[in-house]
Parts: sequence; C-alpha cells; structure tokens
Amino acid sequence: MEMLTQFFTSQVMQESLAPAILISVVTASMSVMVLAHRLSFLTVGVSHASLAGLGLAVTLSLPLLPTATVTALLITLLLANIPKKQGITDDAGIGMLFAGSMALGVILISTASRYEVDLFGLLFGNILTISSGEMQWLSLVGALILGSMVMLARGWWSIAFDPTTAAASGLPVSTMRMVLYGVTGLTVIMCVKLAGIVLTTGLLVLPAACAWFWGRSLAGLWSLSVIFSLIGTLVGLVISYHKDWPSGATVVMALCCIFILSWGGAWLKQRVQKHKEQG
Amino acid sequence: MSSPSLQIADLSFGSEKSPILDQINLSLDAGHFMGIIGPNGAGKSTLLSAIAGLIQPSHGEVKLFGKQLNQFSRHKLLKQVGFLNQLHEHDPHLPLRVRDVVAMGSSDYAAPLWRRGNIRDAIMAALEQVEMANLAERDFRHLSGGQRQRVRLARALVRRPKLLLLDEPSAALDSKRQDKLYGLLRTLCSEQGMTIIMVEHDIAAITAYVDSVACLNRRIHHHAMQGEKIPDDIWHAMYGDHIHIVAHDAGCIGCAQPVEGEQ
Repeated sequence: MEMLTQFFTSQVMQESLAPAILISVVTASMSVMVLAHRLSFLTVGVSHASLAGLGLAVTLSLPLLPTATVTALLITLLLANIPKKQGITDDAGIGMLFAGSMALGVILISTASRYEVDLFGLLFGNILTISSGEMQWLSLVGALILGSMVMLARGWWSIAFDPTTAAASGLPVSTMRMVLYGVTGLTVIMCVKLAGIVLTTGLLVLPAACAWFWGRSLAGLWSLSVIFSLIGTLVGLVISYHKDWPSGATVVMALCCIFILSWGGAWLKQRVQKHKEQG
Repeated sequence: MSSPSLQIADLSFGSEKSPILDQINLSLDAGHFMGIIGPNGAGKSTLLSAIAGLIQPSHGEVKLFGKQLNQFSRHKLLKQVGFLNQLHEHDPHLPLRVRDVVAMGSSDYAAPLWRRGNIRDAIMAALEQVEMANLAERDFRHLSGGQRQRVRLARALVRRPKLLLLDEPSAALDSKRQDKLYGLLRTLCSEQGMTIIMVEHDIAAITAYVDSVACLNRRIHHHAMQGEKIPDDIWHAMYGDHIHIVAHDAGCIGCAQPVEGEQ
C-alpha cells in the first residue's frame, strides 16, 4: 500500500502515467491485429529499422519522434510492396530491411558527436523522460491509430480470417493491408518511447497473446487485450519505481508474467472442463 | 424485362498461347442453378474467380445484373454476390464463435464500428439453413471439417445474395449432407430466385438438382440443359480418350438414355 502511495505521489511517475496509459491502450488495440495477421516479425523488423530514423534525427538535429515516425512509415510501406511474386517473401524482406536500417542507424549515431545520445533510452525505452512536445506527438499518433482501428478493425479482422472471401465481398484487400502495415509502423514508434527498440515487440504481441486464451470475438479480444496491457503497464511501472528498475523492461516483464498466468489459467480451465465431461 | 444475373462475353484469361480460360460466353437468368464440371486444371475455379472480381480477365467482360464488373463497380455489385471458395486444409487461428464467422458474410460487416446493424436474426436464419444454429456459440476452431464447411456456406448465404458462387461446396460433407446441401440450393433458386453457379466433380450427384451443366476445359465445350445428353465426343475432349462412358440414370444430365425395355 505504501509502495502505491509513494508511486502516485511521485512527480515523475505522475507525469509518466498518462503517456504510459495512452501507449498501453493503443498498442494493446493494435496487438490484436498484429497477432491476427501474424505481423510479430514485422514489428521486430520495423522497431529495429527505426534506429535509422533515430540516427538521421541525431545527425541532422531533427526532432526524434517525428523523424522516427516518418522513417518507420516509409519502411513499413516498403515492406508492404516487397516483390513477393519474384520470390522475396515477407520474412526475407523484413530481414534485409532490419539489418540494413540498423546498420545505417548505428553508423549515423556513432558519427554524431555534437549530440548527447541516450542510447540506453533508445534501445530499452524511458517513459520517465518524456517532454510535453513528445506527449503531443504521441497523442496525435495515438488518436490516428485508434481512429484507424475504429474505422477498419472489422475489415482487417475479416481479411485475417479469409482474405479471398473478403476480396470477393468487395473489400479492397491490398489497400487495406497496406494501411494496416502503415498503422503498425506508427504503433511501433509509439512503443519505442516506453519499451525501446529492443523490447517494442513485447508490447505489440503480449497483450493480445494473453487475451487469445479467453476471447472468442473481435470485441472480446480487443477489450481483454487492453485490460491485460493496462494491468501489465501499471504493475510494471510501480515495480520499476519501487525497485529502481528500467521502466520499459519491467513493463514487458510484467506482461510476460501475465501471459504465463493466462496460459496456466487456460490450461487449468481445460483440465476442469475435461474432468467434468468425464465425470 | 430484367437483365440476366450473369453475362460473360468472350472472356479469356492467361497467355494467348496457352490460355487458362478461352473465349467463355455465358448468360444466366435469375433463379438458374448451373453446375460446372471439368478435369483438374480445367479453369473452373479461375472462372469463378473472374466472376467474383478476384482476377482481371485478359480479354472480354463480366456483367453482373446488367452492369459491367470493373474496379469502380465491384464494391457495389459484389455486395449482391455470395462466394464460397475451395476448401483448403488450413487450421483457422482466430478465436471466433461460429456466429461471428457467419457475421463476416454480411454485406456491411467491414463498416466502421459505430455503424453496426442488428444482423443477429439474419445470422441465425443462415445457420438454420445449414442446420448449425445449435452450435452458434461454439468455437469455430473446434468444429469438424464438415461442420466448418457448413458454417462457411452460412457465411455466404447471410447476405441473401442474388448470385451465389460455390467452389466444391460438398468437400468434407458426407453423402447425406451433400444431398441436403443440393436440396437447399435447389430451393433457394426455385423459391427465392437466387442464381447459383457450383463447381463440382461428381455430375451424377448434382444432376437431379441443377438446371444445366457446363462442361469446361479451358473453354465451355458444351452447356447441357436438364434432360439433355452430353455427346461422347465432349466427354473425350474434356477428359481424354481413355475414359469409358457408362449410362446409369435416365434422368441424369449427360448420361445416355437407356434403350427401351432395358432397365
């Protein structure tokens, strides 16, 4: 109890709570689509590739988040247009862009001498150092992502289930996929502030993975995913404050624990059901 | 007089040297039930894909309900078309209730979330038609292959389409279920005026239900109406000279009429 009181009265934590909750809700919403469309590796690729954007921002003294956002968007759109018919598959394309962009980012950051680079913050996230400008940017991008979900969630869901039938019912499947890739890229950038480049995939996969055991519809999965993500974020931040651990890593660790609990709970439920059926 | 449900004029698909579909011409009125038969690789599924707007023909045109199907009209026209593609062996990974799968077939399913209409009655009616209403709340992933196929059919029916395209709908169904399915499709044509095009391999199984059978192998070799005999040379042109034709049913489309006095 004392731990919670200290957490909520801390000035730094009070300031970081709103952006953390915003990131948590937005990424949990998109995580349903990431799992449904099997885009986990895409999020790994884009998050690492965003280092090129951060490198460019550092070298050219541009604002970090907007530059990273534009770079991530360009990278995801490039990935969406990979020449699959010539045999270059999604995972090969992501692998290439991942390595190439990361290499560019490392070179750019290593040559930036005029700028103080918080490399640890970039790699593993630091929600405690968010500026008001960054908060405005996150709110804008967050609203755009949630707006896209409200507009397109059911179409994306239907494409994930059966793309051929979705196309035959008149949906512009290729365009909608392209938009999904773009919005996923934007979401990755939102995560970078909280979890950093290395841990971003955790925020974009774990909430829906926890919900996958329990949800039986798009609405059910979406709400459960948001609930799990909020619990993981709050528990992670409280522990990180109390133990003085890195916030992003602690949030991802908390979500991992929730996943294991959720998995265990689902397994237990299945066993009880089987037992009842046999009895 | 209303336009035919489907008109296909001079449709070709694939390269000029070896087309997958070659100069297909077809016109079907409302309420017509047509079966398509042909060997593997004959272009049956490709023809359905062209009608469903999934592929762009290299030549010719498709008209649905009197209007040409193109990138500008496809969204509006395809709202009136139900489509059941070939069953592939895949493991559905989305956790969904049966009724949610059927809901995906409604014509405004992909609308923004705030424009959600009440389609529960339509969903249950479609599930009743395929005798799956009692499993509406079940997890789709836990159904058998045949049950999944019936749910997919309900998804195609929930929008009450004017034109229904079915690619081997009886796959994974036992013979009793197959008969029930064909009976349902016959009723939909006769009572609701739905036009149905169905790809099947077994002509004997569908012959009592359909109005006509198109023999397809890159081009339509013959379009036989109910009671009409398909000449032997058509069978040989489609399947090769090695096949042996055996007549076994007087009412069967394509079967030779039995000699008088011989039963």
